[in-house]
Amino acid sequence: CSKKLEEHPHTVFTVAYLQTPEGIQSALYSLYTGLQYQFGPEGAVAIETYGTDEFTMGDQPRIGATDHTLGDYTLDATNGAILTPWNRIYPNINMANGIIEWAPKTGLDQNTVTSIIAQARFLRGLYYLLLVKQFGAVPIDLGSGPFKFNQNPFQGFNRLPQDSVLRADYQGMIDDFTYAAQNLPDQRPAGAFYPDKAAAYTKLAEVYLLRGFNDSLKQPNDFQNAFNAAMTVINNTSRFGTSLLQDYGQVNAPGNDYNPEIIFAAERVPGNYTADNVSNPSGIGGTAGSDACNDFQPDYTSIPCNGITGNGTKLANTRSILYGRPIRRFCPTAWLFNTLFADKVNDSRFDNSFRMMWLATNSSTTSPGTIAGDTAFMLAESMQAFNDSLATGRFIDNHDGSAYTAYNNSVSGKPWTLISPAAFYVIGGTLKYNIYPALKKYDDLNKTNANFPSTRPFPIIKLSETYLLAAEAAYQMGDKNTAANLLNVLRMRAAYRPGLSPAQLSARQAAMMITPAQVNEDFILDERARELCGESKRWSDLARRHDENGVNELLKRIPAFNPDGANIKPYMVLRPIPQSQLDASSAIPKSDISKYQNPGW
Amino acid sequence: NIVVPHATYANVYSSFLYQSRQIHVTGQVTDENGNPLSGVSIRVRGTNTGAITDNNGRFELDAPEGSVLEISFIGYQTQVITLGHENQNLRIQLHAAASQLAQLVVIGYGTQKKADVTGAIATISSDALTVAPAANIQQALQGKAAGLQVETVGTIPGSGAQIRVRGIKSISGSNSPLIVVDGIPYDGNLNDIDINNIASISVLKDASATAIYGSRASNGVILITTMRGKEGPAHVSYDGYYGIGKPEFYYPVFNGQEYAALRNISPWTGGYMPQELQMLAAGKETNWQKLIYQTSHKTNHDLTISGGGNGTSYSYGGGFYNETTLIPGVSYTRYSIRATVDSKIGKRFHVGLSSLNALGLTKGAQFVAGGAMYPILALSPLMPAYDSSGNILREPSGNTIDKDFYYNPLYLKYNQNWVDQQRRLRTFNSLFAQYDFTPWLNYRFNLGLNYDQEEDDQFQGADQLTNPDYFRPGQGNTAYVNNSSEYGYTAENLLNINKTFQKHTFNFTGLYSIQEYHSHNTSVRKDSITSDFVQFYNLNLSNPTPYPVLGGGEVSWALISYMGRLNYSYADKYLLTVTERVDGSSRLAPGHKWHAYTAVGLGWNINSESFLRNARFIDQLKLRATYGQTSNQAINPYQSLGLVSQSGYYNFGPTIVKGYNVVTLPNPNLNWEYTKQLNIGLDYSFLNARINGSLEYYHEHTYNILYAVSLPVTSGVPGSYTTNIGTMQNWGMEWNISTQNIHSPGNGFNWTTDLNLFFNRNKLLSLGSGFTRDIANQLFPGYSMTSIYDYKKVGIWQLDQAKEAAQYGSVPGQIHLADLNHDGIIDPNNDREIIGNEDAKLQGGMTNTFTYKGFDLSFFVYARFGGLLVSQIHQSLADYLVNLDGRRNGIKVDYWTPTNPTNWFPEPTAQWSPVSSAWTTLGYYDATYVKLKSINLGYTFSHTFLSRFNIQSVRLYLTMDNVAILFSPYYKQTGIDPAGTTYGNGGVSNPGNIRTGVGDNSTITINATVPPTRSYLLGLNINF
Repeated sequence: CSKKLEEHPHTVFTVAYLQTPEGIQSALYSLYTGLQYQFGPEGAVAIETYGTDEFTMGDQPRIGATDHTLGDYTLDATNGAILTPWNRIYPNINMANGIIEWAPKTGLDQNTVTSIIAQARFLRGLYYLLLVKQFGAVPIDLGSGPFKFNQNPFQGFNRLPQDSVLRADYQGMIDDFTYAAQNLPDQRPAGAFYPDKAAAYTKLAEVYLLRGFNDSLKQPNDFQNAFNAAMTVINNTSRFGTSLLQDYGQVNAPGNDYNPEIIFAAERVPGNYTADNVSNPSGIGGTAGSDACNDFQPDYTSIPCNGITGNGTKLANTRSILYGRPIRRFCPTAWLFNTLFADKVNDSRFDNSFRMMWLATNSSTTSPGTIAGDTAFMLAESMQAFNDSLATGRFIDNHDGSAYTAYNNSVSGKPWTLISPAAFYVIGGTLKYNIYPALKKYDDLNKTNANFPSTRPFPIIKLSETYLLAAEAAYQMGDKNTAANLLNVLRMRAAYRPGLSPAQLSARQAAMMITPAQVNEDFILDERARELCGESKRWSDLARRHDENGVNELLKRIPAFNPDGANIKPYMVLRPIPQSQLDASSAIPKSDISKYQNPGW
Repeated sequence: NIVVPHATYANVYSSFLYQSRQIHVTGQVTDENGNPLSGVSIRVRGTNTGAITDNNGRFELDAPEGSVLEISFIGYQTQVITLGHENQNLRIQLHAAASQLAQLVVIGYGTQKKADVTGAIATISSDALTVAPAANIQQALQGKAAGLQVETVGTIPGSGAQIRVRGIKSISGSNSPLIVVDGIPYDGNLNDIDINNIASISVLKDASATAIYGSRASNGVILITTMRGKEGPAHVSYDGYYGIGKPEFYYPVFNGQEYAALRNISPWTGGYMPQELQMLAAGKETNWQKLIYQTSHKTNHDLTISGGGNGTSYSYGGGFYNETTLIPGVSYTRYSIRATVDSKIGKRFHVGLSSLNALGLTKGAQFVAGGAMYPILALSPLMPAYDSSGNILREPSGNTIDKDFYYNPLYLKYNQNWVDQQRRLRTFNSLFAQYDFTPWLNYRFNLGLNYDQEEDDQFQGADQLTNPDYFRPGQGNTAYVNNSSEYGYTAENLLNINKTFQKHTFNFTGLYSIQEYHSHNTSVRKDSITSDFVQFYNLNLSNPTPYPVLGGGEVSWALISYMGRLNYSYADKYLLTVTERVDGSSRLAPGHKWHAYTAVGLGWNINSESFLRNARFIDQLKLRATYGQTSNQAINPYQSLGLVSQSGYYNFGPTIVKGYNVVTLPNPNLNWEYTKQLNIGLDYSFLNARINGSLEYYHEHTYNILYAVSLPVTSGVPGSYTTNIGTMQNWGMEWNISTQNIHSPGNGFNWTTDLNLFFNRNKLLSLGSGFTRDIANQLFPGYSMTSIYDYKKVGIWQLDQAKEAAQYGSVPGQIHLADLNHDGIIDPNNDREIIGNEDAKLQGGMTNTFTYKGFDLSFFVYARFGGLLVSQIHQSLADYLVNLDGRRNGIKVDYWTPTNPTNWFPEPTAQWSPVSSAWTTLGYYDATYVKLKSINLGYTFSHTFLSRFNIQSVRLYLTMDNVAILFSPYYKQTGIDPAGTTYGNGGVSNPGNIRTGVGDNSTITINATVPPTRSYLLGLNINF
């Protein structure tokens, strides 16, 4: 009868399964699944986007009880968004540790073993980089030793002393990306995002560069190593199967997700939300869905059209797949609109990054003749453009005396509205209408519902960033010529717009060219903003860099360019360690727990 | 024959005085059925002369002529016989006393006379259970027994309750008692048992009583005995009732004017919808609760036929129960059929069969869970429910943001798009065969067979303009089917020895048993069903993509047990119970599978002592003491093995793959948790049982506690780790008393009261070495398991405190938190403390019953005193009902404004405190309440009237439940019922200090759900 007491489960996998040839592959896939939480969901976008010089809070966070705290620097250690990396990443790191340990013992052939380890190390490096950029020192010993798979119920928190732990973090990332750069394949497949050499070298360049900016950890050759790693990609684009597109507008265009400029991205099973760990696609945040497509959208549905107030005249009242759910989290700063993109003509990147015109999504009963698909309203690119339009005399009325005015479309003869920058949310200094230029890089026409998150691949590494990193490394080594040359590659490309004549194009390219003398750290950061605007990198780009005088870029730029961030304090260049982590570290005496927090929090 | 030998002084004295003649008396005492009663006391009134009957019920004694004999026996009415002048041979038949003393109490693996019991056992009769109609056992048990705590969770039909016997003993293991039905462990849903089938319930509370269930016993045992037939002519019994229900209360929400006032000062910038302005101008408003809530209905019919003859008795019958609630489309229906047969084959062989079968159908549970309550409470009272043509206004949100997400909840009334049903068929059967080798030795074989099949079906139709789907705005359809089956058997071999040698009575029970259990389920979710009418019936009629989502699982376990129990009593005075059980379980790691449990119980019937002979007002006085060990087997199967689970899908372009990672660490040393329990009890009965009851004291020490440690995420394992760690203690006292306050024989006025009061004090003693706290798991050594650890709210910063507030970065109108260490900042590491716990300081129930002629009236009061409750309704980011952001309506609270210096809620501004989690402190309230749960008025028609129609009895009754909340600070302040509605965090954001995710060990919280109904029932009970 005692045999009855033996357990023979049919549906339970144990850790031993992950050490088999099939199991280790499944374990590796779980590392990729983890990317979905870090690239695209609202929390992940929020920690890199709120409180930057590029973006501030839209109207929704401003009335929420806690949503605004990243944007106005009132956050504390219980902030939910910082849990996105903190809570989700360590299981992936632990799994990567296990994969790296077990792969040689599975009996798989050497090439497969190397490939598995290279992928695991690339992803582990990527995960560590996400944590380090936000929190500083993070444990490499999860309870069983440095970079070891942990199977102990460990209730400590190996973060002290912080400087030596951070040193080990950086060295670990450099080792991981170096191994990955040597052992990953040259090229990813054309229609899928596996990490390849270009991805590993670009990340290696970033890690060296960031260590070079850290005065207590930097090594003499960090910028040189960063430059070398980035230039390995730039000099071998055909071998690595990557290249800059001719048209910047095509890089993030819907339907062009697997283009060669995008080196690596987090993928999602198209249109299958449950498979993508999105239990409720109508919800926002908290799951693996890519909310970015909705997060940047202003409230286009509430804009009264034709200057006529009242119900039934809001031509874009119905949410559409293209415009998405106007969740109004991130709104461009006035600095972005007026200064960073002061030139919206020669530089195509503003127009290619932001939506300025909305078409009617429903037919109006009070605006005869206007049907869905007709122009509903447009944002003027500048006061000048707005005033020029008024000067043509085509406007009909200025009903409420505000700066927002309707006028005739001379082509179709149907009325539509032009909105002055003075009426833009934040940018125009007004909070009356929730309208502003909308980042369109994450538009997804394949959504099945306007409110749903996107299932498009979310870019993580682009070749253009490799150029930016190379240029920055060159500049930090004192080589402004090389830096300018590399930046000009991107700037010349940015001049391109389809339909320009060769003469127009070269005129614009000439206008875009910069000289070595113009290059400095702030110019490079501005260029990063123009090239990579809204791509979930900005907060840590600023927080981890300082200018030639040693002034932290975040602390310098936020007070200058983002009035909402006036509360920023010097210690806020690192995020607080989440209180839930400190609460769960029960093995640490209560009297010591404050030492594990970042200073100032 | 036992003759009291010594002639006493009184005897001699009286003989001397009166010289009366001694006569010789012999006799036999039997019970009502003519069976001899041994141990009956015969006493000559006014003397110490007496005798006790032998095994054949015989006695003899000498007594003066004309003297009075008192024949008394525990559990029987005392008889008085006046002697004549001749020697006499008496035949005395004793009748069972009205008191409970003679009651056979159902104990584990048998029955025992109440007088012989040493353990702490509470019994609840079928009458007490059914006095107020209830949907399930849990509801019927609340407040009926001391030490048995029943907390409701949920108000929708068929929702369960949390049952605790003497508090919480486990952190991560189950704290629910073992349920045993007709001797067979019952692992199913308690809703499947029709309470009309129950003859009695015994709650075994202490180790002596429960140790025979060994590894399953530490949370107490509830023994349910179902009705069986009796020999005699066929007897037909019908019980039925029908009733309607109204909301016990309406959630207090801001009315139109109040909402507008809030909105105007709130951070909301979206303004009013045009309809809202019209309504406001016209002074109109919409009461969404009144529009949606409908009258609920409750119906029950139960028919039983029983009888028998020639050694066979039978009973069979069926029941129907149906209940709806205030939200349209939500209902619970149960059909039950049952049968029992008991046969005597020859003189020594008994066999019996019992079969309980129930088909339960739950509909629309997700209508509530899916969020119907939120819009009902949060929709703008200024929006109309209908458009100008009288059609339902599709999107009645008072803001443009919600327009696409919250359709009009009135669509629920005309729901054609959403199917949500659970159908469960359970058949629970037990068979026994008993062979009596001798009158004192028998062997019994019990076999239990249980099978249960459940199908869950859900379908949500596509949202269409002509047929909007309330629950799926803007989305296509989706269907879900889950099929699960459970089956198991229990086989028990029992040997019973029952032997009396003179004053020594032995009762031995030996057991060998095995139980096995299996379950398996398969589920499919599929979107894009070809057409709505297909619903969930054929998921193949759908688009190929998106792919179906599949699920499944399997669980098996086995338990092998050996048990021996010896009950010994000496002269019915001194009682001893010794129990030993050995259990082997499949759930534990190899090498830890077997464990032995021992318990000892002692009892002393003090009233049988000679020094109390003259205290005639005492019927019974018994002191009991028990000590023993039990354990908790509530480790999920396979838990010692560790667990790898899927992390979801990923794709590399068109190639879709699936990842697995580690979610639970293995524990090769996983053991059970053990509880050692001491119980001291006193049973008393006075004045012919007009006052009776018991008093208990207990102390429990639990060690090796099963603890699912949720590790810091930096350990790399996201799931919890189950291990044995720590110790906990519970101690408490229980008192129950039943009194016949006014007792008039016949049809006069009678008043009886049943009262029970009890408390339990829980304390976590340790969590293993070095742990002083575990905030992540809400565990604090030295404090109760239900402790609440948080900032302490002082109030709201007032205008005259502006300067002090500024030191904390606050302004008047914000939440004022206590700076516990007075360092000028509020920080989570120094300013949170244990601000209370959810334990009741004292709780209990009281039933008063009045009878006069044919009338009976009873009312039941339930009360709990002390402790805190967690009202997530008042935690802004949990339920989103007190956000005061002006965007939506919500629960009416008194919020601060410069002219309204309240200390309850802060000013409606974007920031309520610089401490972002300060909102949680708004959710704690005094949990004390006293409720008049039910009133029951009945009339029983007179026998003479009925005999004309061949009817034995007819009772007509009226019942009202949830009558009134007599006292509750929470109710007084908020207008909301103080009973819990769910386990753990039920809201959007988890406040972090609510234990959650550990099943019914999670903190009980109050969330917005369907208000409890106050129902009015009319019932009829007929016996033919």
